[in-house]
Amino acid sequence: MSDEVKSPNYWKSLNELAKNEEYQKFEEREFPENATELDDKVSRRSFLRVMGASVALAGFAACRRPVQKILPYSKQPEEVIPGVPLFYASAMPFQDALTGLVIENHEGRPTKVEGNELHPASLGSSSKFNQASMLQMYDPDRSRNVTKDGQASSYNDFAAFCSEHFADTDRNIVFISEANSSLTYNRIKEQALNKFSNAQWVTYEAFSEDNAIEGTNIAFGERLRTVNHYDKADVIVSFDDDFLNPAANKNSVENTKKFTKARKVESTDDTMSRLYSIESTFTVTGSNADNRLRVKSSEVPLFIYALASKLSESISGLSAFSGYTNKFSNHDWMQPLAEDLLDNSGSSVLTVGSEHSAEVHAAVAAINKALDNDGDTVTYHEVSHFDDQNNREAFANVVEAMNNGNIDTVVMVGTNPVFTAPADLNFDEALNNVETSMHLSLYVDETSSSTNWHVNRAHYLEAWGDGYSYTGARSVIQPQIEPLFSGISEIEFLNTIVSGEQTKGYELVQNTWKQFYSTNFKSKWEKILHDGIDGENIFPASNVSLKRRFSAQLRNALSETEESTGMELVIRPDSKLFDGRYANNGWLQELPDPMTKITWDNVALMSKKTADELGIEAAGLGVAQAEMLSITANGTTIEVPAWIQPGHADDSITITVGYGQDRSGRVASGTGVDTYPFRTTSSMLFTKDISVEKTGQTYEIACTQDHSSMEGRSLLRYATLDDYKEEPDFSSYDSAYDAELPGEAYAFEKGVDEPLSIFDAIDEAEYPDYEPQWGMSIDLNSCIGCGTCTIACQAENNIPVIGKREVSNGREMHWIRNDRYFEGDVDNPKALHQPVPCMHCELAPCEQVCPVAATTHSDDGMNQMTYNRCIGTRYCANNCPYKVRRFNFFNYTKEFLTDGQDPEVIQMAMNPEVTVRFRGVMEKCSYCVQRTNRAKIQTEIDTNGATMKPEDGSVKTACQQACPADAIYFGDLTDKESKVTKTKLNERNYLLLEELSTRPRTSYLAKLRNPNPKLA
Amino acid sequence: MAQIFPKWANEIPGRIALGLIIIVTALIAGIWYYFSPEYTDVGYAPTQPIEYSHKIHAGQLGLDCQYCHTSVDKSKQANVPPTQTCMNCHGQIDSQKPEEIQKIRDSWKSGESIEWVRVHNLPDYAYFNHSIHVNVGVGCETCHGRIDKMDVVYQKEPLSMSWCLDCHRNPEKYVRPVEEVTTMGYVADDQIEMGRDLVAKHNINPPTYCQGCHY
Repeated sequence: MSDEVKSPNYWKSLNELAKNEEYQKFEEREFPENATELDDKVSRRSFLRVMGASVALAGFAACRRPVQKILPYSKQPEEVIPGVPLFYASAMPFQDALTGLVIENHEGRPTKVEGNELHPASLGSSSKFNQASMLQMYDPDRSRNVTKDGQASSYNDFAAFCSEHFADTDRNIVFISEANSSLTYNRIKEQALNKFSNAQWVTYEAFSEDNAIEGTNIAFGERLRTVNHYDKADVIVSFDDDFLNPAANKNSVENTKKFTKARKVESTDDTMSRLYSIESTFTVTGSNADNRLRVKSSEVPLFIYALASKLSESISGLSAFSGYTNKFSNHDWMQPLAEDLLDNSGSSVLTVGSEHSAEVHAAVAAINKALDNDGDTVTYHEVSHFDDQNNREAFANVVEAMNNGNIDTVVMVGTNPVFTAPADLNFDEALNNVETSMHLSLYVDETSSSTNWHVNRAHYLEAWGDGYSYTGARSVIQPQIEPLFSGISEIEFLNTIVSGEQTKGYELVQNTWKQFYSTNFKSKWEKILHDGIDGENIFPASNVSLKRRFSAQLRNALSETEESTGMELVIRPDSKLFDGRYANNGWLQELPDPMTKITWDNVALMSKKTADELGIEAAGLGVAQAEMLSITANGTTIEVPAWIQPGHADDSITITVGYGQDRSGRVASGTGVDTYPFRTTSSMLFTKDISVEKTGQTYEIACTQDHSSMEGRSLLRYATLDDYKEEPDFSSYDSAYDAELPGEAYAFEKGVDEPLSIFDAIDEAEYPDYEPQWGMSIDLNSCIGCGTCTIACQAENNIPVIGKREVSNGREMHWIRNDRYFEGDVDNPKALHQPVPCMHCELAPCEQVCPVAATTHSDDGMNQMTYNRCIGTRYCANNCPYKVRRFNFFNYTKEFLTDGQDPEVIQMAMNPEVTVRFRGVMEKCSYCVQRTNRAKIQTEIDTNGATMKPEDGSVKTACQQACPADAIYFGDLTDKESKVTKTKLNERNYLLLEELSTRPRTSYLAKLRNPNPKLA
Repeated sequence: MAQIFPKWANEIPGRIALGLIIIVTALIAGIWYYFSPEYTDVGYAPTQPIEYSHKIHAGQLGLDCQYCHTSVDKSKQANVPPTQTCMNCHGQIDSQKPEEIQKIRDSWKSGESIEWVRVHNLPDYAYFNHSIHVNVGVGCETCHGRIDKMDVVYQKEPLSMSWCLDCHRNPEKYVRPVEEVTTMGYVADDQIEMGRDLVAKHNINPPTYCQGCHY
């Protein structure tokens, strides 16, 4: 076998790149040294604390026969058949955009979230936030009652207080609300503003669309929402905009769907769009770019202005920029990029990160307009619930009024400004100057602790609601379960304040919809509940034209934007916790960040060059010790662990927010550092001229990037689109290694198709023809590396959360991991993503070594794991070349049931179709066997025994169903027409470690990039 | 020098060995039998909260199993009927035991469930689906016994894995026409021949690999 890999060398970390002895020793071990011993200093208690909601249920057989009860309904609801799950349409609000969902219910308890195919913001897929929202509802740390000045109270008392307090309609009231697109909510908001003559309403979000809206106002004179159509674009230029990441874009699922759709390549005749990314932090979107340029965030506007200036030489509409020059005007990229945009005028789109200033958004809008993109690849929409004010400014004004004692009542809905508001506003102190304050929230968080009244909020899965998707599709949110902790929804809360009454959410929502459905209300109402969408009332697209004053307004911005010299700090929402609202969610905390692969913490990201200048060394292997930095910005000094992110812009440090919350629950507390104090009204995105020092301390980071290494073999294969057209089979073993597949010649002599292996060739009888043969293929050209599959799998398969220390030990339990590889130069590498579930090898090495036959092969071609046989020798994991087997070192289940506070709540979150595993049992991806078996049984019943092979597409694995990029295909390989069979016949199809003759059922389609040849 | 051990002492090692063999054999045999579901589970007949007799309802009155257990052909579970089903008749009909009927009416009025004790209990890691069995002609009585003769329901079969596999390996010995599934005391003229026909007709290929039931 040839060890010479022809394709580029991929590496996961700086340690691997260095290829030193320490690394080789590390990767040969299954777990880091000492990790397999059970003498951890972590006490059981603290281990449990970490578990939070994220643990498991079980039925425990004691020695005696357990007496189980069967409780039938007294009056059985008509549509319920015990044992058959029901699916209801609903939608998840995230800021002011809904994603349509279909929710799986088992006897009245929701267990799994899926996308709604009819809904434009979902198209059947979902984001990691959608998937993880299920766990949030079952979080036992959620607030359970109303409190007044910290003392337990009741909603009746609150309502009584409201009717008395708000009887005086001249009060100076401020409503500080989260962004909410709900029709009912905004109806009651109007009522509130009409009733209280001195009331002000501010929408406050830590990360918002405000600058983008203000940008269209500068450019076009209207406050509009920008919608990019990535499926229609041939050239996409992203300036610091991570539009594929749900934490950075409200419409990420639709964006991802459309972006990957335009890049599906089925044959050499197909084309792909081209994505340019100009950014400081290495983001998910940047890793999918065909050409990526590292630029400090503070200089991204300069690049945009220089590009506009360059384009103004060729097209009209950019006179504001003509003659303008800066350091980027003669940049290598400028000419090729401008040419590509001009060539694709009308089918290109430029987009900029939402936290960049309004002027920058205006400039990008002007370029899009000048390139004739508006109406095609980008549309601008009037949004009914937008406020007429700049909410960022309004919020600052309100805080000032609070400080001046001009406000007597503050009502806060959903948001957590004490934690997230810009530090210079000192919101907590301002709140002290207000006589009466009330706060509706899921957790008793920082803000709740500073207010007079705290009202416990109902989760969206528990309450009636409604709203618009990003593009204006309207939906009704229907509750799946009675509020677990008797929470109150935001519409009920607001209605109590306005009317003093405790009207139910159902009635409030219906009252709203009766306005729209004036005739046939009942049937229309039932239809929207059933479909989850009514297909009407899309936000109207506006015809926009550049404002006359645009040039004058932009000139100021042009002269004010300066080159950046010193070190700068970039503040971004966290890819998992967003603004901190998901901090108590174990699934998200433990999901490795798509780019850094860090779990449970936030870090200060910097390039290798910057790290060298600061004297920072890469964190070591195993339990990684990161060096602590003391960062001073805007007069605040915070210590943050340093982390080298290859591909980060030089002289720039990125940190994410949302960590360091000690109030909102057991999972969140003790994770990461609160970095919000760095953020001020003038530095929402970046702060220039910060000072950074090493403290000499170190901090333990749980990072999975070096786990499950496959030791330098050619696992990832990719080519440029042009190379692929020349050499379509570039991903075959022969091409990748420039050598013949071992055994191929011998097999050819013997006249068999496939190489022989040390095992017997497959006997046809082993795979009976009446059974389907399951197989999967993963299109690496579509996969964006977001990690939604991991969360969906965790939700479907009752996978436990294990905590930071255990992740450090390499014991993470995820059945599908997402490997992130770098390629090329350490300063400016490319990044690639590869999801790795169990390969379901036909000749599985794990099966050969199990002493108790706990892992064997099924008739439908799966590598099956039989938990009740497993005795935990872990031989199989040692022998798995793909390192996909996971071992239960602790009894996450029982510990929580005996010590936990709320076993019932946690039990409810479990999928009853999947066994909850015990300690000492090996587990791994099962191709969602509970779903395939259910489909097989149903097919056999439906066809009256004619066949047990489900129709193609009728059974989807959890990862496949959730994937917003449609990167995963799964189906029956005996069906020659099935999508998965066709995908496997594609010339880009390849197998991992094909030379081992394991014959994996999971295969990959090699990745393609479409870089600009002039920038190569 | 006098011998320390008498001559008969020579036999001691042999006897110890023999004794050990007997004890170990007895132990294994004992565990084999007494720890098996045949011994521990068969005959389990817990007292139910209501003295409901299948003998009267399914036997004497001749109610079909599916009158109450409605989801047996649709779901993995054969549901225990809601109180509503009892009230279909007992809303009007009394019995010899009015105090038992009162419990049903109380449940109907209060909406509280009747807490039946589960008799047939499979381990959590074993998945059993009623619908597929009923739809291909595995009779109720094949697994549950002559329910129509039981005053108090008890477990008739061991529900052990080897017992499941007996049928999964040789389904022709046990299947019956689908329309006879709920018939009690069904006997075929020639079970094997009919069974073979039925297996062919319904394409019955029961899984014998682990994941057929364990996942």
